[in-house]
Parts: sequence; C-alpha cells; structure tokens
Amino acid sequence: MSEDTKFEGRGIVNGTVTGPALVSRTPFSFLGDVDIRTGDVIGELSDLKGRNIAGQVLIVPATRGSAGAWRFLHQLKQHGTHPLAIITGELPDPSVVQGAILSGIPIVSGLADRIGNQVTDGAMLRVDGDKGLVALE
Amino acid sequence: MRLSDRDKAMLDGAEGPANREAMAALVQLGEAFDAEDMVDIGYAHVHAGMAMYLGDVELMEDLASRGAKMAVPSSTNIANADMAEWQATRAPESLVRLQRRAETAHGAMGTGGCFTCTPYWAGHWPTWNTHMASIESGVTVFCNSVLGARSNRDGSFAVYAGMTGRYPRFGLHLDENRQPTHEVVVEAAPDGTTDFTALGYAIGAEVTNAVPLIKGLTRRPNLDELDALGVGMATSGGVAMFILPGVTPPYTASDADNDADLPSIRMGESDLRAVYDDFCSGEETGFDIVHLGCPHASFEEMKHYAALLEGRTVRDGVELWITTNRTVRQMARDSGLLKPIQASGAKVISDTCPISCHFARTTSPDPKLGVEPPTLRTIVVDSAKQARYIRDMIHCPTLLTSTENAVETAVTGRFIPRW
Repeated sequence: MSEDTKFEGRGIVNGTVTGPALVSRTPFSFLGDVDIRTGDVIGELSDLKGRNIAGQVLIVPATRGSAGAWRFLHQLKQHGTHPLAIITGELPDPSVVQGAILSGIPIVSGLADRIGNQVTDGAMLRVDGDKGLVALE
Repeated sequence: MRLSDRDKAMLDGAEGPANREAMAALVQLGEAFDAEDMVDIGYAHVHAGMAMYLGDVELMEDLASRGAKMAVPSSTNIANADMAEWQATRAPESLVRLQRRAETAHGAMGTGGCFTCTPYWAGHWPTWNTHMASIESGVTVFCNSVLGARSNRDGSFAVYAGMTGRYPRFGLHLDENRQPTHEVVVEAAPDGTTDFTALGYAIGAEVTNAVPLIKGLTRRPNLDELDALGVGMATSGGVAMFILPGVTPPYTASDADNDADLPSIRMGESDLRAVYDDFCSGEETGFDIVHLGCPHASFEEMKHYAALLEGRTVRDGVELWITTNRTVRQMARDSGLLKPIQASGAKVISDTCPISCHFARTTSPDPKLGVEPPTLRTIVVDSAKQARYIRDMIHCPTLLTSTENAVETAVTGRFIPRW
C-alpha cells in the first residue's frame, strides 16, 4: 500500500483546521459516549473509552443515531471540549451535521477507513471541510 | 443545490442577519444530503432553549435579538423547568429564571410557546403532506406516521426552518423514502400506552433505522397508543416513520398485503415482557417518585388519571408526578379534572418531566445556577421512553408498569408489576 499524504473525501461541514488524529474503529454516539465537561470518552461500546476527544481530529467509521446528538456537540463546544474536526466513513446523521454546523466543527466523510489504515494517533492532519480534503502535515 | 430567488435573497441578508445565518446553515445541510432544492414548510417544532445546558437558552436569545421571527406556525419543545408552578418540583429558582428567558425570546420570535414533547395535544396538528421540521423525534414519528406530514429527525435546525419557512428536500420529505423497509408482525395484544411504548421500543431496537410496516394488531390503537408506539420506536432506534395500513396516510388497510419481499420480524408477548423486565431494575419498595405522562399527557389521559385518582390518596413518602403541557393543564383545570388529581396529593407539572428537569446528571449547567441533582432511589414509570432516559440521564433505577398499576403503586406504596 502506498503511503498517501492527501485524501479526498466528501466535504460535509465547512471549515479548515489542523490537529492530531484520534482513530476509532467503532461507531460513535455524541449522546452518551462522551462526558461534555471533560471530553473523556465514557461509552462502553466505543473503543476510545478512557481517551479524550478535546482538540482532536476524531476519526470514526459512523455516528450512532440519536436525534439529540446536535446538542451534545454544541455542549462540547460550549465547554471547550469539542473535537477540532470529525472524519467519518458513512455519512453522519442529520443531527450530527446540524450540531457541527452550529458549532463550527468541520466534517469530511467517506475517509475513515483509508485514513484510519494510514495514520496513527497523534499524526497531524489538516482538514478542509469546504473541499473535502484531508492532508497529513 | 437549486435555490429560489427568496432563498438567495436571504443568503444576501435581505431578511436580516438571523435569516442569513439560518439559510446558509440550511444550504450546508442540504448539500450534505444531496438535496436538489428546498421545500416550503408549513410547521416547525423548535428548540426551547434549555436552562440545564450551558449557553443553550442564549442560542434562542441570540436569534431573537437579531430580529428572528417565525415565518410559519411553530411550537416550542420541552424545557428544563415548570415555568409557572416550579416549586412542586423543588427546582432551584435560578434555573427557572434562566428558563423563563427562553420563554421571553420565543415570545419575541412569535413561536407558539407550549414547551412540550406533544405539541399536537396543544393544538399543533400538521396535516397530510405538510412539510415540516421537528427537533423532537417523537413529534417527527407521530406527524409522519399518524398525520401524514413530512418530517426528518432534526436537531436545532428546526428553528432555522421555522424562521425561513424553508427546508432542504431530503430524507422523509421525498416519497421514495416513505416506503416500508421491514415488515413487523405483531403477535401480542398490546393494550394501553405503556404496552405500546414497550412494543415500539422492541421494534425500534430490532429494526434501528427503518420504516417498519406494522401488521397483526387486532384493533386500531387510539391516538394516545399511536403516539406511544412511535415514541417507543424513536427511543430505541432511529425510526422516524412507521406505516400502519389504514392509519398512516395514504396507506389503506389493503396495503398490508403488498409486502412480499420485505425482511420480516415477529413481535410476541415475550418481546413486550422483555422490555418491562429490562426497565424493572429498582427496589420494589424503595421508590421515591411515580411518574405518568411520557410523552406529555393528552387531555384524554388526564381524564383517565382523574378517574383513577378520584377519592384516592397518594401514600406518604411517595410523590406522584403527572407531566403534561401547559395547554392541556389549563384545559384540565377548566374542566374540573385537576381537582380530584390534586386532592389525591398528585402533582401536575408542565413544561418539563423527570428526565428534562434538574434531575439530569449528564448535563452541565452554568455552575452559578447552583443546580444539584437530588439523590433518587427508584422512579416508577409507565413509559419505556422515560425509563430509558432515566437510566441514561438520571442514572437511577426504574420500575416500569402500566398506567393503572402505577397509580395503584403510588396509592399503596407497593410496586404492582404489569404482568
């Protein structure tokens, strides 16, 4: 496998940020999997349990459904414990998209597997939600 | 995405800064989901602004201060405190004062301020083919499945839809997504709203994101039971619409026969019992609160509670909470229904409920409000939705039983199970 440094996915929520990768292989629920006060992952079903998503580029295969997800993304932002950007495999739920637009958290989808196989936690990623581009810095 | 002249004008700020923000956000949402254009909506059920969440009431105040007005009929979702009779719940007054600021903001925006998860019982009754937006998944499923309106499971953007009267055409706004994806054959005989929340919960857990076609019910559920069925599905799964032939517009009773190729599941009495068992985790003698009214009670349910409580007394050491919306509470008061209920010692609470009030442990309100969730031993409930979120948000055990048995439980002080 070639060592890609640029990935082209689908821009879902606008915005451009650079931050460290945090890779998960399990679907993520913003309602329930994360403590909004700290950004600590507490959900038993997430392989990120015990890790912290604040300031990270969160890479997840999918978001698990809840109509309340938007509020928890907004609360993470209010508490300064939000991920800098989110990269997904599947298209995220409308509620996640709405919460991310409201909170200014860029999302690129269609890339979780490719990036997850290529980068390790802490690798610096530049995420461009307008163009759907992710680049290894 | 194809935009109308008015959509473009809103993006240019012709209708003010709040509508510019709203339209820009709706366009981003539409592009994310490949919407071809926007539809005109006829109704929006919007975020209240919640005092238990940091900076959340301010979201609505910010829109109101920038001149936002509702362009279509609208209603407000459930809030975090009873804004009129809050003492009954022992909510901190600081929380109530903050919650009332949301009421003021919605007043300025012209939102129908009913602060409820059941706006239909307060008179908001969108009709067949009305495009709409809803922040509350239970409202979404009722409006799609019982009224034939068209709604996705939205988040905060329902307020943007209400302000602009527009929403991107995707999801359940399209005919192609309003077709059954699964067949559910009900082999149980659910009776009463608790059973229907349990049936819905079992179905939602099984089909997750789907449009289930429901067959096998031996009678047409009443409106409260239809509401309970959808709310149960929306709680355990991502269901936004079910199809009950003969009930869901435009499906007629004969449509139950046209489903040969759908994946099929069966729901028997054991599946309902399993939901009750799952939510009976508390001590049978150690409960503090018995709760009725999830989702918020209809006028018909208030009549039922009044009949059950006539001449009875809630046992010392137990609180009986009945939650409904402020419109229904007023109707119940005017109709003489509150008298027997309150004479029994039961509390009739509007605008909120146990999971939405200061009991929640998963929220993080402004520390200045001094909110301290009380320590509760067990809450007895008659709804699988309330039970699920008590477990997840209050971190307290529950006991789930029928409405009638919950009232008996409150009166006798001894838990009476459904089965």
